[in-house]
Amino acid sequence: MRIALFSDIHANLLAFKAMLKDMDSQKPDAVYCLGDLVGYHINPNEVIDEIRRRGIATLKGNHDEKVENIITTPESLTEPGKKYAYHLIREDNREYLRTLPAHIRLEYKLNGEKLNLVFAHGSTRSIDEYVLVDTDENYVLDLLAESDADLLFVGHSHKPYHRILKSADGVFKHVVNLGSVGKPKDGDPKGCYVILHLNADSSTANTDSTEIEFRRVEYDVEASVKAILESPLPMEFADALRLAK
Amino acid sequence: MKIALFSDIHANLPALEAFFKDVETRNTDAIYCLGDLVGYNIWPNEVIDEIRRRGIPTIAGNYDWGIGRSSDDCGCAYKTDEEKAMGKVSISYTNGIVKDEQRAYLRTLPAHIRLEYQLNHDKRNILFVHGSPRKVNEYLFEDRDEKSMLRIMEQADADIMCFGHTHQPYHRILNSGTDGNNHFRHAINIGSVGKPKDKDPLGGYVILTINPDSTVTDQDSIKVEFIRFEYDIEKAAKAVEESPLPNEYADMLRNG
Repeated sequence: MRIALFSDIHANLLAFKAMLKDMDSQKPDAVYCLGDLVGYHINPNEVIDEIRRRGIATLKGNHDEKVENIITTPESLTEPGKKYAYHLIREDNREYLRTLPAHIRLEYKLNGEKLNLVFAHGSTRSIDEYVLVDTDENYVLDLLAESDADLLFVGHSHKPYHRILKSADGVFKHVVNLGSVGKPKDGDPKGCYVILHLNADSSTANTDSTEIEFRRVEYDVEASVKAILESPLPMEFADALRLAK
Repeated sequence: MKIALFSDIHANLPALEAFFKDVETRNTDAIYCLGDLVGYNIWPNEVIDEIRRRGIPTIAGNYDWGIGRSSDDCGCAYKTDEEKAMGKVSISYTNGIVKDEQRAYLRTLPAHIRLEYQLNHDKRNILFVHGSPRKVNEYLFEDRDEKSMLRIMEQADADIMCFGHTHQPYHRILNSGTDGNNHFRHAINIGSVGKPKDKDPLGGYVILTINPDSTVTDQDSIKVEFIRFEYDIEKAAKAVEESPLPNEYADMLRNG
């Protein structure tokens, strides 16, 4: 079973299309999106429409949640600033974002033992908490125990990693940050997503029974940058795409 | 948010194809499959491939559980010796034709999928299971004692529980609130795409609509639509008759 997981598209349509092309060529068995479809770029509706058209199981990210407090008037679309990215979003897509779940949990019973995969945008505690590669190990283990997660997948920081932690009872737990499709912040401007390889032996008893594959996807960064520069959005958003920071 | 839920295809490719054609006209935002892809007809590999090709999140049904482990037990509750004998033919035939890759897919399906909502500062869980949260092959019929049904949902922390397995669709609203506070829970059997057993031979599935102002205290804050669709029943029935499978399974398709 190969499961594709992606997040943090942030309305970057060119990056999203490139990622979908790569993902389709990998023929995953299931696909999940961990949120932040919008913000920072000019194509939120095109991104949301494609996710809805494909029926991809999707979580709410903090930027998707932010849209709930945005009031848009006809003048809003002419005002320079970062809010432009949210004002663009159509009413039916705002309703879609509002009704996205916070977490998705896959409960496995592969070999008579439970194996829980938990998907969250920031963390299982909060939509905008950062779970980083160097977040305190005991803190992360508490987080995993509290949400009964054996493999936790998150986004939000735009910095991909795969971390294996040994719990007090001697089993191995995994935390995976998916990186970002449309706004990487790890110095590599290529889009990033993950394919999880699960097999019949996948278990918390050993570390090599599940494989996490990070895929980086090239896209036309300059064309994406140009679209931001020609919009009312702050030009720092364009620089961030070039520098991946 | 409109979520399409389907299950119990049971290797009936004409019914699955008709389901996809129907659901594509209804502008749903997400789609989940609640298991039992195989058994009782000749297209188990094709059904698995169509679901994989679309990347649809899917859970294991009892028949998938059996075939995934090359077992001769599908966990089906056959009542008579005749039913048991027919069931043996079906699982042995299915084990014989399912290919390695498709079997490995069935073997690695999750038992449950849970969507955890935090709408309007209110926690609300939607749980997808095949039979029940306790057992993949437990039948939750519509006439189940209300207390028992509520206990199952409370233990599983499910506000909205969707399942298949009985092939008989229903939507039941139960109130587990105490001290005059309402807490509505929904038990939804989504019927069967490829082997209906409610006297209606048409394929069936559910569209669940979650409203943005949805809360557990309002029993009408979700909408459950039962969709029935036509498909080439004769093609599916003839395929059974021309295979080593018992002809009775063809008549069941014709009669629902």
